[in-house]
Amino acid sequence: MIEVDGTLKSRLAFWLLATVSALGVLLLVEAYFSSQRAAERAYDSQLEAAALTIAEAIRWEGGQPVVEVPSAALQILATRHQERVFYAVLDADGHTVSGNLDLSISPDWRRRVSSQPTWLNDSYHGTQWRLYGRELDSAGWETQDPVQIWVGHTMSGRKALTEVLFEHAVTRFVIMVLLAGILMLLAMRVALSPIRRLRHQLRQRDADDMRPLDTRVPEEMREMAETLDSLFTRQREGREALLRFTADASHQLKTPLAGLQTTSELALQSDSPDAWRQALAEVHGSAGRTSRLASQLLSLARLRHAMEASATARIDALALLHETAFDWAQRDVSQAHDIGLASLPASPQYIQGESWALRELLGNLIDNALRYTPPGSVITLGAVCHAQTLEVYIEDDGPGVSSETLAYLHHPFERGGRQDTEGSGLGLAIVDSIVRRHEARMQVESPDEKGGLIVRLFFPYFTQHEEG
Amino acid sequence: MPIRRVALVWLLGALAPSLAWADNPLVVEAALDREVAAPLLDAFEAAHPNIQLTFRDHSTLEVDARVADEDNPPDVVISSAMPWQMSRVNEGYAQRLESPEARAWPEWAKWRDEVFGFTFEPIVMAYRLDLARHMLPPKTHADLHTLLTQHRETLRDKVTSYSPVRSGVGYSLFQQDARYTTRFWDLVTAMGATGTNLEANTRSMLEGLSEGRYWLGYNLLGSYAMVWAQSHPEVFVQVPQDYSLVMMRMAFIHRDAPHPAAARAFLDFLLGREGQRVIAGETPLFSVRSDVVGPYTAQRLRDQVGERLYPIPLNASLLAFVDSSRRASFMERWQREFHRLSRPEPSQGEQSTESHIDKFPQR
Repeated sequence: MIEVDGTLKSRLAFWLLATVSALGVLLLVEAYFSSQRAAERAYDSQLEAAALTIAEAIRWEGGQPVVEVPSAALQILATRHQERVFYAVLDADGHTVSGNLDLSISPDWRRRVSSQPTWLNDSYHGTQWRLYGRELDSAGWETQDPVQIWVGHTMSGRKALTEVLFEHAVTRFVIMVLLAGILMLLAMRVALSPIRRLRHQLRQRDADDMRPLDTRVPEEMREMAETLDSLFTRQREGREALLRFTADASHQLKTPLAGLQTTSELALQSDSPDAWRQALAEVHGSAGRTSRLASQLLSLARLRHAMEASATARIDALALLHETAFDWAQRDVSQAHDIGLASLPASPQYIQGESWALRELLGNLIDNALRYTPPGSVITLGAVCHAQTLEVYIEDDGPGVSSETLAYLHHPFERGGRQDTEGSGLGLAIVDSIVRRHEARMQVESPDEKGGLIVRLFFPYFTQHEEG
Repeated sequence: MPIRRVALVWLLGALAPSLAWADNPLVVEAALDREVAAPLLDAFEAAHPNIQLTFRDHSTLEVDARVADEDNPPDVVISSAMPWQMSRVNEGYAQRLESPEARAWPEWAKWRDEVFGFTFEPIVMAYRLDLARHMLPPKTHADLHTLLTQHRETLRDKVTSYSPVRSGVGYSLFQQDARYTTRFWDLVTAMGATGTNLEANTRSMLEGLSEGRYWLGYNLLGSYAMVWAQSHPEVFVQVPQDYSLVMMRMAFIHRDAPHPAAARAFLDFLLGREGQRVIAGETPLFSVRSDVVGPYTAQRLRDQVGERLYPIPLNASLLAFVDSSRRASFMERWQREFHRLSRPEPSQGEQSTESHIDKFPQR
């Protein structure tokens, strides 16, 4: 079920927008304050310049500081923005030598200025003023008292400059965002082009075209492309396996059916009731084998197609092993062989699984061992506890199989290069399916040159977690 | 009492909208001769018949004092004492005028959109016919100095100028003169040596010239002198050929104007095309606007006199002129230079009394 959940573009756009907005707000706040600072600095230096100009005009006459306020200082103070201006020259006692407004300079401010030049804001008749004070150590013939120079102006210029600077910052930011947006759209188109290319390629594929993809993808899409590729591969393999299985099954069923036909034809040509009887017996036996073959095919098909929907339970593997071995040892088919149990671990070992499937598994293995070993062979079942897994093995001392055959022994209709037995070659294929179903691992080996075959099955232990 | 006043103000405020066009007083405090300004005031009353204009004509220093009168502030303040006007505006006594006329007004003739220089009056020399009989009338400041030096005895007590102590305009003009050249002080010395009579206003100087008491006047307001010369043929007006100062009358709306709407209307009229047209055509105050045509415009004056017109800059530098210590030191030097060559008589008269009375005159 494919559910369309927005578009990649809108997601990218959303996050871009969110990030840019958040950053933008921060940037603009910062821009406002830095504009303010820049304006402050610009105009503060005007105050400083005006104070210096006034300082230049201070003279000592008869022990008194005298100042002829230079017009230039006032024009510097007024600035382009025609601020209202304030200036005052104070002597050492704080008396005004010269000044223009009755803006009082507090003793505290005078103390501060005596240590270093100071800027400060003050309110005068409801208007905000920026003041600057500095102290001048001037040498005179009679006295050497310091003189303080205070200057100030209203703040409309600062406001205007702040606004202009801030406006510029906002304009720059907006242009940047617009450009970034356009570039981002282009970038999204470019970045998303591999997806479009892949989609195009997939759409153009034939329905039964299972070849691997032949395309260029960016690193981020490699995994998806590889998954697609492996999906194709699995589909191809599945299809091939199905075809092979069908062909093999037809072939397997054809041989006994042909035998049946031949036998019945021969019987029909004969007039002897003995021959009929013998033919009937053969037909009976052959039908039995064919029926068994069909039931095995069915069970394999069921195992392969009913992968899902299984009821698993906690199973004591040792008890099951014991029970199955005992069951088989009592059957007629196994009278020629010696089926035995190796010593088992003392405590019960639990695994997760379906008991019918496990019984089928063990049954098939025992059946295989019975069929592919000469009479009198010893078949041993056993279990060993490992750290992570429980090993269940079944060992025989028959002729064994060559190492090159081992790899595909579990393929359907594979009889380990033996055509002399009654087996259909489906036993290990069924076993393999069941093993996979139980997430177990199967290992088949011939221990030595002389022969013998050992099939080891490794089951994961039952865990409490899985039960929950 | 305050409660009653508040109530009255509230009542006026509540009734203002309905009264606005019916009965709308306006008080203009001005240092501007009523006769000179009459055509302008008539034109304003004609344009705004609903505004009852009260025009009070005072000296510059009186006008300045009225500005600070908290109980009875005027609506509009007009004065030719530029530094004092500027100082009042800097103290925050003006309110901003937001109008197309204010915005269109040339930058060099306004400050903070609060105070506007609405006239363009050249500062001139004036002489009587008698002077021309004895010597070549002066055309420049240097000529004047030469004349005063060479004809000291002939011109004794026959020269007049502004008193820097009693007149704000006179003080501003001398300050501005002193800014241009230090030779100005030689002129002051020469004036002192001839026993120059210092008057408080241009009118007194012109009257003295007409009466024959004075032969030569220095630093007269051209606006008044030119009108005077038209009706008094014995008086001649000379715009200095080296440089001529230009004084601008400055007008602002008082911060606490009781009738701000009428005040704005008045200022808009002054700055507007109509007001300036009247100034250019019917008064000798000279219009600042370049788009106004008439006998008295800044443009026409420039065309006649050339580029030797130096308007006193209307900016913060004016504030330096009213700085008390700067004024004191200027006056000190003035007295020193003025008396340098004059005979040290104990009863020097005017000047010494002046320095006693008005060392630091009220603004």
